Amino acid sequence: MVGQSAGIVCQGLRVAYGGVVAVDDVSFRVAAGEVFGLLGPNGAGKTSTIRALTTIVAPTAGVAEVGGIPVSDHGRVRRRIGVLPESNGYPGAQTGLGYLCFYGQLFGISRDEAARRAGDLLSRMGLGENARPIATYSRGMRQRLGLCRAMINDPDVLFLDEPTLGLDPAGKKDILAELVDAAATRGAAVLLCTHLLDEVERVCDRVAILAGGVSLAEGTVAEVIARAGVGGVARVTVDPADTPAATAAIAAELPVSGVRYDNTHPGRLEVDQPTEAEENRLLAVLLAAGVQVRSFELDRASLDDAFLALTAGLDLRAEEAA
Amino acid sequence: MTSNDQARSLFRVVARQELVELWRGPKGLTVLFAYSGLLAALAYMASADAGLNLLDARESVGIIAQTGVALGALTALVVSADAVSGERERGTLESLLVTPVTKRELVLGKLVASTSMWVAALGVAVPFVVVMARGPGVAIDALVVLVVTGTLVSAALTALGLAISSVAMSNRASIASAMAAMLLLATPSQLPSVTADGVIGNVLIRANPVSAGLKLANEVLVAQRSWASQWTFLLAPAVAAILFTAVAIAAAGRIELGASR
Repeated sequence: MVGQSAGIVCQGLRVAYGGVVAVDDVSFRVAAGEVFGLLGPNGAGKTSTIRALTTIVAPTAGVAEVGGIPVSDHGRVRRRIGVLPESNGYPGAQTGLGYLCFYGQLFGISRDEAARRAGDLLSRMGLGENARPIATYSRGMRQRLGLCRAMINDPDVLFLDEPTLGLDPAGKKDILAELVDAAATRGAAVLLCTHLLDEVERVCDRVAILAGGVSLAEGTVAEVIARAGVGGVARVTVDPADTPAATAAIAAELPVSGVRYDNTHPGRLEVDQPTEAEENRLLAVLLAAGVQVRSFELDRASLDDAFLALTAGLDLRAEEAA
Repeated sequence: MTSNDQARSLFRVVARQELVELWRGPKGLTVLFAYSGLLAALAYMASADAGLNLLDARESVGIIAQTGVALGALTALVVSADAVSGERERGTLESLLVTPVTKRELVLGKLVASTSMWVAALGVAVPFVVVMARGPGVAIDALVVLVVTGTLVSAALTALGLAISSVAMSNRASIASAMAAMLLLATPSQLPSVTADGVIGNVLIRANPVSAGLKLANEVLVAQRSWASQWTFLLAPAVAAILFTAVAIAAAGRIELGASR
């Protein structure tokens, strides 16, 4: 046993279907009360990782524990997890309440208690008044119902695969708020798989980026951006007469990779910022050189930039190898 | 609650849910409606032929009883062949597999629900058979044929359909395979009488649960042979019911979602 973590421990995880390796040597940990983002392009191995951790497929190698229990102990692991799969279907003829009651009973909860919990969850998700069949639900309502189902057993660990796919902005906000609440107030460990990286930046404490079944980076969002080696851009507007002085001062004092002029706006410069530490220094250098700064705007590197840099690099390496 | 109690309880939860889905949704009633229509049309034609002396009254009862058994078993087979592969195709299987319910409990619960299809078909077939059998005075025999033979044949085919559904990777493949199996099993009953009465024909019919069940109906209701001399025709359906149920339970362990990255 790797540890008594209440969340997820995944160490050297490998999942293969016959001869096809879907996940290879992936490692990460998710603590209780933490929201962890598992990112990657299509075919990266995210779903296979989730399926290994939720006992659907057996890992070929490595250590995988959920709530301190090895995933080989299917029964105990399943009692402690809630899962919203990516392409989740629903029995159209049933009502939301009946559907949740059924799942509650599968977790050994009595019918009355399951009905009480189902009612509470449906109300919280804004589905309380819906006694109509699930077939009449909108996509957003179905996703919210899926999240209710994942939470009917009050799980210690939540696995959510693309929970906001196809939802409108309000629906996305509700779902994200609910999963953040599950982590913050109930102490659940949440593993979130999504392609929407702005969501991840907003709600995830840490992330891992997978591509081609291997882990490219893991850590906080800032750490992953730093590891990707992408910087932001500083947009500075100076007095047009000071442009040469500003350029010379930047070139002499800062190890930046590029300075660009905006020909349509005299005096406007775009300076590539390799790291956040150089943001303040840029301004200090300009002021020290006697440059009159009219505006200073920072556009920091995003997880999107880091994701593209990391995954594009992998494609290049693959192409080179070919 | 011990783990055995919980297993029993989860199996019941699945069975109840499957019954609700089958009979509250359109599937069960649609299949039953089609079964009723076919049986009614056949009963009308058989009665009309008997009224015109084109068909012996006993033969009419035999045809209705045999059709009731074969089509009833077919309805249960179609429902069970959709049970697991249909869940996979509709995207509802993964949610079930991550709950504490085991694959075996899942399959047993679905077996109960699929069997209810035969029980409903039996409820539809009994009035037809009883009304038609009153004339030649074979109502009791016809009822016993329907209940005993039909239940054994249906149990065998339901379990077979479920086993196929558990291992098939698409719903279409599952239903097509189940229908092909049914056609194959029904083939010996269509052998010409010369071949059917020979040693090989006799073995083919007796070893096959469907043809053995249909032959029993014919022997008892049409040829007026006694149950005591014909009961051995029940062996194949009974053995098949037990064997296919065991196969379905074993196949439960092979239920998979299919590869995905």
